[in-house]
Amino acid sequence: MRLHPLSIPYRVAENSTQIFGAIVIAVLAGTSGSDTILASVAIFLGIALVGVAAVSGWQIAYYRRFHYELTADTFDINSGVVSRREREIPYHRIQNVDISQNVFQRLLGISEVRLETAGGGETEAKLQYVERTEAERLQEEVSNRKRDDAAESDDGANDEDRSTRTLFAITPHELGVLGVVSMDFRLISLLLGGLSVLGPSIVAEYLPDLDRLFLIGPLVGIGAIVATALLSGVISVLRYYDFQLTRRGEEYRYERGLVQRFSGSIPIEKVQTLSIRENVLARRLGYASLTIETAGYAPGQGSGARSQSAIPIAKRGRVFELARSIEPFGDVTFERPPKRARKRYAARYLLVALAVVALSYVVTVRANVTAPWYLTALVLPVVPVAAHYKWRHRGYYLGEEYVITRNGFWSRRITIVPAYRVQTVLGTRTIFQRRRHLASVVIDTASSSGLVGEDAVAADIDDERADRLREAVADRLQVALRTGRSVPPRRD
Amino acid sequence: MTDSDTPSDVDSGPRDPESTGAADREQPAEGSPPSKESGDGSAEPDTTKAPDASNTRNAPDAATDPPAALLTDRRSLDTRVRRKWVARSLVLGAVVGVGVGATVAGVVSGSTSAPDIGSGVLAGVAAFVLAGALGVGHAVLLFRSWEYEVRTDALYLQRGVVTHVSTIVPFVRVQHIDTSRGPIERALGLSSLVVYTAGSRGADVTIPGLTPAEADDLQDRLKTLAQTATGEDAV
Repeated sequence: MRLHPLSIPYRVAENSTQIFGAIVIAVLAGTSGSDTILASVAIFLGIALVGVAAVSGWQIAYYRRFHYELTADTFDINSGVVSRREREIPYHRIQNVDISQNVFQRLLGISEVRLETAGGGETEAKLQYVERTEAERLQEEVSNRKRDDAAESDDGANDEDRSTRTLFAITPHELGVLGVVSMDFRLISLLLGGLSVLGPSIVAEYLPDLDRLFLIGPLVGIGAIVATALLSGVISVLRYYDFQLTRRGEEYRYERGLVQRFSGSIPIEKVQTLSIRENVLARRLGYASLTIETAGYAPGQGSGARSQSAIPIAKRGRVFELARSIEPFGDVTFERPPKRARKRYAARYLLVALAVVALSYVVTVRANVTAPWYLTALVLPVVPVAAHYKWRHRGYYLGEEYVITRNGFWSRRITIVPAYRVQTVLGTRTIFQRRRHLASVVIDTASSSGLVGEDAVAADIDDERADRLREAVADRLQVALRTGRSVPPRRD
Repeated sequence: MTDSDTPSDVDSGPRDPESTGAADREQPAEGSPPSKESGDGSAEPDTTKAPDASNTRNAPDAATDPPAALLTDRRSLDTRVRRKWVARSLVLGAVVGVGVGATVAGVVSGSTSAPDIGSGVLAGVAAFVLAGALGVGHAVLLFRSWEYEVRTDALYLQRGVVTHVSTIVPFVRVQHIDTSRGPIERALGLSSLVVYTAGSRGADVTIPGLTPAEADDLQDRLKTLAQTATGEDAV
């Protein structure tokens, strides 16, 4: 099978924009000596045409030398213009087959297919680009063959479960809520970066008086946050537009996106942990979101997130219901850390607050301005409140087959770890924790989010409890394995 | 190795640390009837679907427990590993000393005149001595904190000075085990063992300061234990 012929012009356009920079530089170099505008334009067109022609030639060759095939056991891909690459990927190694389609691709009716395997930080194989219906056929075929493989290796215990059930489809109301509660703080760094470039000149022009800086700082901060919220909201709405989650046999399938449409699958047996996230706003409104973490690289989510969204936003009850249908963890009551942990947080925040006050004092003195630097001391009473809230939202729960942790105030995360997914269990005690007889227990799993430091942590609990918890979690793992659990239970 | 048949903890183990308190885990199965253990030298993988009849949390399933010979008691590292850590911190101290000395020399003299070598050297040496003292202290404390133990179901480690970390690595999660020897280790006659799992935070766990014989022995034990542990895949 070959790629779609329309992939050639699309790839040419794609690569041309990439080499556009090179073209511009070449043109600038070339036209520096010429006199008239006409000559410059002619040279520009000439170089551009040569560039595009070269790219087109390459892409045509690539198209002609790209073949893929679904054989009995493997997905075969032969590609490469100059250096050939022949790959045979066994079906049981393919974790996901994902389809993505942006606006232009949709106009042309083509889409990108990405094959993911467990482990590895990149997509294993990409088909750029095939027709949309063909992409869906491939998704279907691979999923069928995986199921057939599994059915052969098991003792025929799996029934043919080809029914597709829609588990969740986002409503416009929920999409609206998502827009309101989304706040991607990574955007703040972008905004503030831009501000730092433009800011000083604006300040110098309109507000030459340095005393006003104390007003400007907080205003800019608030403005940045508001702008970030709006921008994140828009991005989230575009991203999760028409989100649907279905269950088909041994896989979850999801689809989402307005401008760029993604469709992917989550094999049930690869589910590592579940996370239920609620930020401050969402908690107020009674909403939460559910993500499923799998082993290895999770595609289609951009550079930051490495887990797959099962429910972008829904009422809390609904989220827990769906979570329980994936992993039946029963009722949960969290055990909070001991109250002396609050003193730790209070001490930490106090240091930060004092540093802020000291900094404002130093700035005031050095810059010789009369400004109410002591107003920053208003931050101090916030410290115990902040410490209390941080403590209040921490907790863990040890069930018979699950370990569940909860952390975070601004963005609270409940992580559900099935006992049979536990990898290593770590107990950590810093020197400050030891002083207060506290310890943290980290439950490591193979899920990708652990790589960005988002493991399941039972933080700042009593150190004897921590020792017992550590041993208990390791025990639960052994018990779970002995009773033959290796995949989430089948639920009808 | 001939001592693989005798319980390892009795005579051939390296210096036992003074007992730091009762392990709150059930003792490894040395005390159980030997016939059951040595009978299944290679404990059969537990493919039975029937749950353990007693199913109490700590009840060991005697038929699948590993032979006592593979387990160890709590061990500490070889004392030579302190030299390795001290050497590392001295090198670091030298770098810091040079950096501090250069900075001080430049700062004290101001930007116009020639750098003040005297104060620079003084500062540099002081920084080096300080770093060296800290390094030696850290090495000693770190050595004292290190312990590892091969238990029934998992490898247990603890270590750390500023942040004390204790790790449990279940055998069923072990992907592979490497021994490695860096240049300083080779000079001191030491080796390290690295255990890899599929986890993300505890993905690889290193036991430094083993003699090459100990490292190979431990590697063999862990390989056997990992192979006979239950579970189809380590993920």
